[in-house]
Amino acid sequence: MGAIDLKTADIGSPLPEVIFGPISRTTLALYAGASGDHNPAHIDIDFARNAGLPDVFAHGMLSFGVLARVVTQWAGVAALREFGARFVSITQVHDKISCKATIIERFEAGGETRLRLAVVATAQDGRETLNGDAVVALA
Amino acid sequence: MDATTARKGIFDRSTKGVQVDPVKILVERGRIRFFSQVLGQTDPVHFDLDAARAAGHPDLVAPPSFFMVIEASANEERRRRGISTVQELVQVDYRYLLHGEERYFYEAPIYAGDEVEIGIVVTDFYDKKGGAMEFVTFESRIVHPERGLLVRSQRSLLHRLPEPRS
Repeated sequence: MGAIDLKTADIGSPLPEVIFGPISRTTLALYAGASGDHNPAHIDIDFARNAGLPDVFAHGMLSFGVLARVVTQWAGVAALREFGARFVSITQVHDKISCKATIIERFEAGGETRLRLAVVATAQDGRETLNGDAVVALA
Repeated sequence: MDATTARKGIFDRSTKGVQVDPVKILVERGRIRFFSQVLGQTDPVHFDLDAARAAGHPDLVAPPSFFMVIEASANEERRRRGISTVQELVQVDYRYLLHGEERYFYEAPIYAGDEVEIGIVVTDFYDKKGGAMEFVTFESRIVHPERGLLVRSQRSLLHRLPEPRS
């Protein structure tokens, strides 16, 4: 659980940021093995070049998983009700990704008070890579 | 778009509406630990059994995106049984594949030791950017025999279609 009290969390409040990377080829190999996503476009440069790509690129779900951490490290994984993101640009090898979340709405649903958060992942050059939202329940 | 610039789709659109037979998957502690470690999880409920139990959980808690690990495990199981994986069914071509969107709706936690059933439906196909991109969407559900629906997902994948050869 994070240091911020969910009950007093204000609209517009940012959550503590999570930064990861630069993303190495080792990380991509480990993510392929750990996740079971063996798409060679992420781990085999020969395959990538044969497909006309300059290099392998990162699994979108790697950033997705780290972006979810911003929310669960703060609210606790048990409070998470919904998490979704669009993959708006490709995450390249060596990108350093900044993952951020901001509270945007407070509402009632399922007999509990919930917060909606905007979540966004951005590379070191300002390029947005993922963009989505999360819903957490207040304890 | 005239005929000389038309791109040919790759997905097998006749699979729209196909419901893939559910597969049972045992959620392994070691797999949750490994996946959590690669994502840099700091909450010990994902890797430390004592911490998970102290927090009131029966076992290690799967991180939010562990859903895809269960899906990948289901595909491995299908491959072992000689059945098409979901990617083979819709005819994914990894040379052109990108992930469009992923969304999860959480009803209850997934724990290590759970034996869950995962079922997937091919929900739609559509084009964007004048046919330069083609999309497929899926919906899946992970169900526990006693605790019921745990998580459901919505996903889109896309092909960036190659220029037609003239």
